[in-house]
Amino acid sequence: MRLIAIAGNTFRENIRDKILYNLILFALLMIVSSFLLGQLTLGFEDKVIIDLGLSSMSVFGTLIAIFIGIQLVYKELERRTVYALLAKPVARWEFILGKYLGLLFTLLVNVAVMTAGLWLTLAWHGSAPWHAYLRLLPAVYLIFLSLAVTTAVALLFSTFSTPALSALFTLFLWIIGHFNADLIQFAKIARSAAAETVTRVLYYLLPNISNFCSLDSRNVIQSAAYYEPVRAAAVGWATLYAVLYCAAVLALAAAIFSRRDFK
Amino acid sequence: MKTGIPWIRRLPPAGIFALAALLIAPVQTRVDAGLARPSMDPDLLYFSSPAMVKALALGYDGLLADIYWMRAIQYYGRRDEARRRQVPYKNLAALLDIVTTLDPGMIDVYRAGSIFLSEPEPVGAGLPQKAVALLDRGIAAHPQDWRLPFDKGFVHYWYMRDYEQAGRAWLLASRIAGAPPWLEALAARGLSQGGAIEVAKELWRRQLESAGRADLRENARNRLASIQVDEDLWTLEFCLERYAAARGAFPASLDGLIAAGFIHFVPKDPSGVPYLYDPSIGAVSLSAATKVRYIALPYNYRDAYKAKLARLLGK
Repeated sequence: MRLIAIAGNTFRENIRDKILYNLILFALLMIVSSFLLGQLTLGFEDKVIIDLGLSSMSVFGTLIAIFIGIQLVYKELERRTVYALLAKPVARWEFILGKYLGLLFTLLVNVAVMTAGLWLTLAWHGSAPWHAYLRLLPAVYLIFLSLAVTTAVALLFSTFSTPALSALFTLFLWIIGHFNADLIQFAKIARSAAAETVTRVLYYLLPNISNFCSLDSRNVIQSAAYYEPVRAAAVGWATLYAVLYCAAVLALAAAIFSRRDFK
Repeated sequence: MKTGIPWIRRLPPAGIFALAALLIAPVQTRVDAGLARPSMDPDLLYFSSPAMVKALALGYDGLLADIYWMRAIQYYGRRDEARRRQVPYKNLAALLDIVTTLDPGMIDVYRAGSIFLSEPEPVGAGLPQKAVALLDRGIAAHPQDWRLPFDKGFVHYWYMRDYEQAGRAWLLASRIAGAPPWLEALAARGLSQGGAIEVAKELWRRQLESAGRADLRENARNRLASIQVDEDLWTLEFCLERYAAARGAFPASLDGLIAAGFIHFVPKDPSGVPYLYDPSIGAVSLSAATKVRYIALPYNYRDAYKAKLARLLGK
């Protein structure tokens, strides 16, 4: 119950931060692009709308996850509102988890509204039957999972670092998270056993964002753009990875936050 | 004495805004004028390695493929810019390579791209070998799609005049499930190298009927109309030569050929505009008023066609 109260409060705070203005930007982008890109491209009108829609969903979502995530804890400390909250019978891990769930809910609303916007654009401008649009849902879900992991990482940095540094760290980890496959490749060709161990450890330590970008060696957004089905089991494994990674990162964040001295 | 307030403070913010906003456009024009000067290498491709672009795409491969495809279209479509370059479409193959590496699913890129690459300059890049390489990559990515080996045969046949390779490619296409039954006959005719122009006409007709894309249909329509124009003009020339040989002079108008029994009617070009006739030298040509976008055949078929007419009509 306390968890829901903190999460609800975080959500309301995000709304007050006018975070949903990006939805208007998204809607404008979709409408203008469907007009303009149809003129610029040769064929592939549906594909261009879907690629642009899903990629914007991911980029906007990642930016929100990073720039709101890094302030979640820092702002409470800065404004000293955290003292009032922690004076009540609220465990510190509840505070962290509540903050996380609040931002996650904000992102969920964002993604849901953007998906509806994308569907409307396709219904108005696209050429596929409406049931084909359901094939976009796995890609939307995986984008949401990647946002969940990014938010957890941003929140972790937020517990011990300044917003500017946290933003940099999270952004770098997000970029590195797309190149994790290269790390394992490096481990294979590394001549020293120590280097191999280090790269292997890093491979599992760093967030593997590419898990949510491609399933079965096929880019998720591309599959959606061609209305191709994806394997449910592959989505299941990606979900399990996201749950485990977020749990580990949030536990670490809660542990760091619990040890902080607020005198 | 009054203490002087800096004049800038008296300006209201709205005034500063209006002044700045008014100046932006002329300043931008001045900057653009500098950009318009020819640079050392205007035809620059920042990333030539498709693998590198794919790695930098950060999972947004599809969107980047769309952007590169639009860039390839703009690159191909800006004829005036291409004409100024030493090699008009130097980077077209590389751009198409990047698009198909980022998203191998874009079948129309292989299809339309192979035409862009094959068409001789100034219409295209004049690089049919690159078109075959592009289609080979497409065939490897989509072995179940008969249209790609069909297009490969088309490039071999029309642009490279390698009838045997064309026949082989069509034979491969005809064996793919779902391929239309006429492909096998086409392969056979290509391989036997007989009736070259007839096969070509059949090919363009098939393209006109089966191509899903409006621009490919338009190209096929232009090609067929151009062949029709060539054949009309050569037939008229042939009849005029025979008329002159029999009567010592060319007829005053093309109707003279009907009166002499050479033809039943005077043909018009495929857009319905009459051909121009010069009775002093007996030459016929396409009128300036024609709506046909004439594209010359890549090889001289005139003598072979006239020899065929002579065989048909008797010496």
